[in-house]
Amino acid sequence: MSGAGEPGSGVLARALAARRVVVCVGAGGVGKTTVSASLALEAALKGRESLVCTIDPAKRLANALGLSALGNVEARIPDPVWSDAGLTPRAPLHAMMLDMKRTWDELIARYAPADVRERIFANRFYQALSSALAGSQEYIAMEKLWELRSSRGYPLIVLDTPPTAHALDFLDAPNRVLDFLDNDAARWLLTPALRAGKMGLKFFNLGGSFVMKQLSRLTGTETLQELANFMLAMSALNEDFRERARAVKALLRDTQTAFVLVTGAAVDRQDEAIHFHSILTANGMAPVAVVVNRVHTAPTAEDFDRARALPSPLQEKVLRTLEERATLAARDALGIAELQRQVGNTPLVQVPRFEQDVHDVRALAETARYLVGEASVSV
Amino acid sequence: MAGLLDRRLWVVTGKGGVGKSTVSAALALASARAGRRTLVCEVNTQERVSRFLGHPPVGPEVSRLEENLWAVDMRPQEAMREYALMTLRFEALYKAVFENRVIRYFLRFIPSLQELVLLGKVLWHVRETRADGQPAWDTVVLDAPATGHAISFLRVPQVLLDTVPPGPLHKEARAMRDLLVDPGLTAAVLVSLPEELPVNETLELAEALRGQVRVQPTAVVLNATSPLRFEEGELRTLAPVPGLSDAAREQHAGALRSREARARLESGVGVPVHEVPRLFSERFGRAQVEAVAGHLAALVGRWA
Repeated sequence: MSGAGEPGSGVLARALAARRVVVCVGAGGVGKTTVSASLALEAALKGRESLVCTIDPAKRLANALGLSALGNVEARIPDPVWSDAGLTPRAPLHAMMLDMKRTWDELIARYAPADVRERIFANRFYQALSSALAGSQEYIAMEKLWELRSSRGYPLIVLDTPPTAHALDFLDAPNRVLDFLDNDAARWLLTPALRAGKMGLKFFNLGGSFVMKQLSRLTGTETLQELANFMLAMSALNEDFRERARAVKALLRDTQTAFVLVTGAAVDRQDEAIHFHSILTANGMAPVAVVVNRVHTAPTAEDFDRARALPSPLQEKVLRTLEERATLAARDALGIAELQRQVGNTPLVQVPRFEQDVHDVRALAETARYLVGEASVSV
Repeated sequence: MAGLLDRRLWVVTGKGGVGKSTVSAALALASARAGRRTLVCEVNTQERVSRFLGHPPVGPEVSRLEENLWAVDMRPQEAMREYALMTLRFEALYKAVFENRVIRYFLRFIPSLQELVLLGKVLWHVRETRADGQPAWDTVVLDAPATGHAISFLRVPQVLLDTVPPGPLHKEARAMRDLLVDPGLTAAVLVSLPEELPVNETLELAEALRGQVRVQPTAVVLNATSPLRFEEGELRTLAPVPGLSDAAREQHAGALRSREARARLESGVGVPVHEVPRLFSERFGRAQVEAVAGHLAALVGRWA
């Protein structure tokens, strides 16, 4: 179904061999974490040391990777996990679960001067920022990626991303954070306060300007005051922090970074994937491939013949089951055709639906065979 | 159980991909069929509900879809404008304030303000009255957004109560919170799938609703379940025939997962679980939503 002759095979194998960073993006519930883990595992099997950074893995997958007790640090997949699955990796595989709140705290701890740090941690806006601000999860995932990329020597990092309903939230995240620190408006607003701060004044007044008075009718004066205090504290973060937000943004556009868009197959869910694809492409981050996950395969004519030879009532039960599968396969084929029409030249890589949820190393390796084109879905 | 018909606000929650919009569309349809003036609210989405019901997209204005059924797709920009106009009262003042760069900058960083005004607009419709003082809507169905954890949207009033000091915003947040937690007014329907991760998330969502939002879940809708079809002996008979065995075992595994999911949800959430059997059709549209509505008749209550 995916392009005649060249079924997207090899495109992900090449990315795993040549790129330094692979970012898996897509809506929630499409199996992004599984795809991320499979890609990193495949790289390790083929001899490239890799790290998969996951957001919210299913417990059994986390257990399978030996991730159960780890918070925000990488762990090497232990040898018995491989040997139990009958696999021999040619390079180590590492995995970690990202702890959002902790990563924010570490970031502030690193860049804020000691006297400011506690003020930031205590500020209610910080507590909301690190958990509630739209885009802050996406940003912190990218931030962690940058840290791992620049301070550890992993040849390949695969990043699983938070489920994002709106592609723009994801792409806009570094801008939002940069904006927070670098915005002209903020600087203008805060300059008097910064000067006052330097003169040793503990508080400053946001001023009685017309617009500020009107704004405070909406939010209350104290809200503005507390937000301003927060911004003031944040503005004390040194230039390194800003530099870093810029670097995070640049990393996404780096030629060594590849985006992989993950989606399900059904036609009624394709709108999100198509939207995501067009936003990424418009922003110079065109995905190297669209992974269509959990594709239903159609039963063959022989399957139906064999079913008709069965005794009743088993025959009816099996025929019904085969017909249901045929319907789902036809539905997926419609969705895939529509997707291919919309994403133009981006190759589609299909992964079949497995009988069991993918939650062990063996199943991840099987998934990977489809991802890199060693196996393909027969339609 | 009285069903949903004695509540005015039906909040449909769940993670992305579980069929939340389908269930919202089906419940809205059922409500309209029961003769109630029904408004279904989507929040900054791709407008699935109107499409599922076979109607063109509605946009940010409340639009009539069919008898007793209206829909609106709420967008942050418009909702923010309406909220500001309500507070500031004059268009000129609005412009002076909201078209100021500094102000726009500030508003972006007040946590969850966008969500607050969106939720505020939904709750405004819940309180909306007609000329005779009667509620304008008998049912408001909210297809709650699924960004990150579904809980974050509904938690907005509480987050703001914890974040912003006393003032107008604080007061607004409190009024909204009080509406949401009123069990005589608000029903929360949790949508889940018979798979490990979605069930875990539903259990977390139920706990968070109770603990953080103080909303009692009303019911769980377990979507896309499979019936138990094969006996163990039959599966053994099929074992030598790979194509058939795989198909039968997958169906069987789905049935077992459905049963397990139901048991975990019933004991974990402690509310009735309504199953919607998996639908087998190539395309998803009106006929499928009607079928789902049929399966949810017991949840809705009276079925006209």
